[in-house]
Amino acid sequence: MIDLDCVTKSYTKGQPAVNEITMHVDKGEFVFIVGDSGSGKSTLIRMLLKELEPTSGTITVNGSVLNTMKHKAIPKYRRGIGVVFQDFRLLEDRNVYENVAFAQRAVGTPVRMIRRRVPEVLRQVGLAEKYKSLPSQLSGGEQQRVAIARAIVNRPAILLADEPTGNLDPTNSYEVIKLLDEINARGTTVLVVTHNRELVNQFKKRVVTMNRGMVAHDAEVGEYLEY
Amino acid sequence: MFSLASIATMVACIFLFGAFFAVIFNVRSLVTSIEEEVGITVLFDEGISEERIKEIGEEISRREEVTELKYTSPEEAWENFQKDYFKDNPEYAEGFADDNPLAQSASYTVKVRSIEEQNAVAEFIRSLDGVREVNQSDQAVKTLVSFNNLLTYVSAAIILVLLIISVFLISNTVSVGISVRREEIGIMKLIGATDSFVRAPFIVEGILLGAVGAAIPLVILYFSYDWIMSKLLGRFGVLRSMADALPPMMQVFRYVMPVGLILGIGIGLTGSIITVRKHLDV
Repeated sequence: MIDLDCVTKSYTKGQPAVNEITMHVDKGEFVFIVGDSGSGKSTLIRMLLKELEPTSGTITVNGSVLNTMKHKAIPKYRRGIGVVFQDFRLLEDRNVYENVAFAQRAVGTPVRMIRRRVPEVLRQVGLAEKYKSLPSQLSGGEQQRVAIARAIVNRPAILLADEPTGNLDPTNSYEVIKLLDEINARGTTVLVVTHNRELVNQFKKRVVTMNRGMVAHDAEVGEYLEY
Repeated sequence: MFSLASIATMVACIFLFGAFFAVIFNVRSLVTSIEEEVGITVLFDEGISEERIKEIGEEISRREEVTELKYTSPEEAWENFQKDYFKDNPEYAEGFADDNPLAQSASYTVKVRSIEEQNAVAEFIRSLDGVREVNQSDQAVKTLVSFNNLLTYVSAAIILVLLIISVFLISNTVSVGISVRREEIGIMKLIGATDSFVRAPFIVEGILLGAVGAAIPLVILYFSYDWIMSKLLGRFGVLRSMADALPPMMQVFRYVMPVGLILGIGIGLTGSIITVRKHLDV
């Protein structure tokens, strides 16, 4: 599903942010990517979204090689990837329903389909009742669940979550990871970048530990390791 | 705020365009109607033969500028003269019955496509053998034409400057819109919206600003044209005699409306496309 072959990304001269990473993620896997700030986790995510180009090495996602991908092909590629951020990035002036529907409109889904799909996804994340609320009326955990609903509404094959629990209390953090686990159980490949040691240890998933731009440790059922 | 400014500039631009166009159009049709009346009169040397007159006529009509050539024989000239001057007292003309006083007054009246070409044609006719005199009565028309040309250039310059300002202001308005919605645009891009999907709202905004900016002055012109014309006719008696030659509002509007709308929408489109290309690197 995701193949990184000797991928390096340097912003300026000196220590590269990502240094010769080779990594493989299978379809349907759930992977935690952990590491300190500056270990290259976010750079990795941004390269997977084709927001950044690797300095060297090859990235293959879903069968397409990102290095040679044409600019015009990027939107279509991104539709196959859902993404969730630490700061939710919801549109503050629109309600929950509109925030989720927005993702479908952006890719040209017919209104009829949107009306059917959005309530379905909101039920899945447990916010069916709050579809009329504005983001500011929701708790952090709820806002992140709206963001997750938006990320999966177009049924992506891969879901990338960049510090999804960074702004949440432990209970909400747990709920969010549990939700991601449920989404994974339905077949979506999930990559979660996180700092949250307890959660990583609790969920018993594959853990890739990064340190100074390199993969320091990769364990099938891993624990959060300190470097 | 910016959209108000850009609409206002556009209104000024299209309004001036419409107003100048209306004036120019009016003067043009005035000129045309006068042109139709004004011809060149060609008189011949004394004792010229009828064959030579015929030849001269053929040479004149060979010029492609010439639209009409009319021969007036001395007899016709005399008849016309009598009609004009003796119509109340035909008996005065009796005395000339057998001796046409205008025997030397055979003439051609030459009409030319446009007033600008009249000089060249007159010059040519003057050079012909057997021509005694060539009369042109075009001074007023010439003044009108040069005034109209001046007006065309001045208005073109003003409109051009306003056009550039409008494009600039539209572009500014759209870029404000883009920066306000930068976050939304970022999300759209991450979700996989196509370039055109992200750009479309801004292009539409530009077009709408342009269309509104064009519609307002067109409506104003539509409703004020007749009023202004009647005021003008009332004030300048000279014009009144030519009122028939002045085009009615609908005739002017047939050109002003589509051109104005296209101009407005074009400005909006250009302004927004420039900005979107610059700021929306999607």
